[in-house]
Amino acid sequence: MFKTIVVLFVFLFLISVSIPARAQEPFFSYTYDYWGEPVAAPHAYLPTERLDGLSLGVGCFRIPRDLFVSDDGRLFVADTGNNRIVIVGEDLKSATVIENFQTQAGVEQFNQPEGVFVTRGGDIYIADTGNSRIIHLDGEGGYVRTIGAPVADIIPPDFVFQPSKLAVDEAGRIYIVATGVTQGIMLLDAYGIFRGFMGASRVTPSLIEIFWRAVATEAQRERMLLFIPTEYNNITIDDEGFLYVTTDKLTFWDINHAISARSRDDRVAPIRKLNPTGVDVLRREGFHPPVGDIDIDNLRQSLLVDVSVTDYGIYSVLDRRRGRVFTYDPDGNLLFIFGGTGGSRLGTFRDAVAIERIGDRILVLDSSRAIITIFDITEYGRLLKDAVILHRTGEYEASTEKWREVLRRNSNSDLAYVGMGMAYMRKDMFSTALNYFRLGSMRERYSRAFQLYRRVVTGQNFGWIAAMLFIPVGTFLFVRRRNGKLTGKRQ
Amino acid sequence: MIEVLNSLKYTFHLVFHPFDGFWDLKHEKRGNIKAALAIIAMLCITFIMRRQLTGFIFNLNDPQELNIFSEVISILLPFALWCVSNWSFTSLMEGEGGFKDIMITTAFALTPMIIINLPLILFSNLITMPEGAFYRFFDSLSILWSGALLILGTMVVHQYTLLKTLFTSVLIVVGMAVIIFIGLLFFSMLHQMYAFVYTVYLEISLRM
Repeated sequence: MFKTIVVLFVFLFLISVSIPARAQEPFFSYTYDYWGEPVAAPHAYLPTERLDGLSLGVGCFRIPRDLFVSDDGRLFVADTGNNRIVIVGEDLKSATVIENFQTQAGVEQFNQPEGVFVTRGGDIYIADTGNSRIIHLDGEGGYVRTIGAPVADIIPPDFVFQPSKLAVDEAGRIYIVATGVTQGIMLLDAYGIFRGFMGASRVTPSLIEIFWRAVATEAQRERMLLFIPTEYNNITIDDEGFLYVTTDKLTFWDINHAISARSRDDRVAPIRKLNPTGVDVLRREGFHPPVGDIDIDNLRQSLLVDVSVTDYGIYSVLDRRRGRVFTYDPDGNLLFIFGGTGGSRLGTFRDAVAIERIGDRILVLDSSRAIITIFDITEYGRLLKDAVILHRTGEYEASTEKWREVLRRNSNSDLAYVGMGMAYMRKDMFSTALNYFRLGSMRERYSRAFQLYRRVVTGQNFGWIAAMLFIPVGTFLFVRRRNGKLTGKRQ
Repeated sequence: MIEVLNSLKYTFHLVFHPFDGFWDLKHEKRGNIKAALAIIAMLCITFIMRRQLTGFIFNLNDPQELNIFSEVISILLPFALWCVSNWSFTSLMEGEGGFKDIMITTAFALTPMIIINLPLILFSNLITMPEGAFYRFFDSLSILWSGALLILGTMVVHQYTLLKTLFTSVLIVVGMAVIIFIGLLFFSMLHQMYAFVYTVYLEISLRM
């Protein structure tokens, strides 16, 4: 007896020693289930590297505000506090600096530039915020032109032009997000001439508003707003020319209502995807609208400040408040969340302001700590991403394998359950599909699978079902007829 | 026991013939308080079953968050409030029904909720989303039917005209709100009194 106990203790001791100390990740990864509850998930991205001005040999960044990765893989940093643009080479080891540029009038400098954009052709556009202008440079940093404050009837004369972020499309049109502008994005044509505002959501008048509009005088009607004031804070353009814009001006109550109503329209939307005419086309087919954190309390909603779009329309959004990155698929399903606020550990932020990507790597710029953190995709993240992409390109067989692997690593993944369900439905295995759709809380698909399942079951068991229906009905009719005869006799 | 069962059987007649039904319920002693309580208990069970067993497509409740206590309260409390408020107003407004009659009438008026909802639970497991219109139709039917019976029951048991019944019903609902308000006030006062006494006790005990 004593011997066994000793052996047992030795065994226990050995087990406890052999458990390796786990490297502590700086944040928890999670996702949201159908009920809006946060559920634990494996890490999809983990921080691997940091870039700062010192290690790049260009001196410390000061309050950098924007990142941009050009098509040739160079990384542009708007080093706002140092009044310069830093260009990091493809290898992420060396850097060059644009501090000034030569115009006909002489050497000019930037003043607090907050945004930078590089076209496919290599032209650099800089939002020179403090100088109220846009600077257009060529690929070598040579001066091309200056675009000043736009002039138009609808812009009041006392308007102060503070361009903050910008994007340029294939046709050379310039989309500008400027501080204090509530009408949406400023659109300039290729010649730098103001063409109007776009992207502010139109008012859908309620009955009361229609009534007031009807009784209002002409002058009053003029002053009624035709749009909901929308102050965007950032803009990103994808390969197809769609604009992703974010705003952090929505109130907690609006966002909370959109979450609980599972809203799918753009009335309360911190992220919008605008087509070239300024209409929101973002799909919001997930369990919850893409608004960042779902389980929000203490009146603190996510403050979304930047979007980065990958191919296949998977996009990542940065929450400045909690330093988290939310990644959604093109339908608006939440894929994964990573990042967090915190002290000085790699992978946490004090003031995350910009997000970019190089291939599968994600770069986040921390303005306050003046560093760029590089995140690399994990095995789990890669599986999930591949599964989504294979699913969207119609390779269902291959995607099923990926979904199965995702489920092995994360049994909380509703998306994987739905993916598995779709695969089984294609194989006409409806009852298995039903089970997966139920696990994935996907009622629409469940309903469709159930319809097919029901047809199969009723077809196979028609005899039984008919009998079960006819026996009671027949008995009832028979008894009634006999009773009728009996009462007939009585009369 | 037998009379309770007979009384419950009578509900099937009552829901289709409300005027005669409610009259006989009171004057022919077809109903009794035990049957009324049995109906309420069954209603509670129906609602819990409905919450847990309704088909996946139509069940938007989180199955992890069932609280039988709050489910039961959500039926018992409005029922009790309605009865008390009903009795308070109608006894001032020449209503002929006593508290017992009101309880029996109210409980019996709620039977469509049971009769329709129980088969509906089964039905919801056999239909798909496009057929949900039928589900919602029967769901609303149960509520409307019970509502109509509640009005008619009140009308018959107190021997009111229809107009007076409708007016009284509005008053009863207002009365329910007033009772809730006073109840909250009472508990808030009680809590403050407790807090006061406790503070005094704490003050004295710390100074001793």
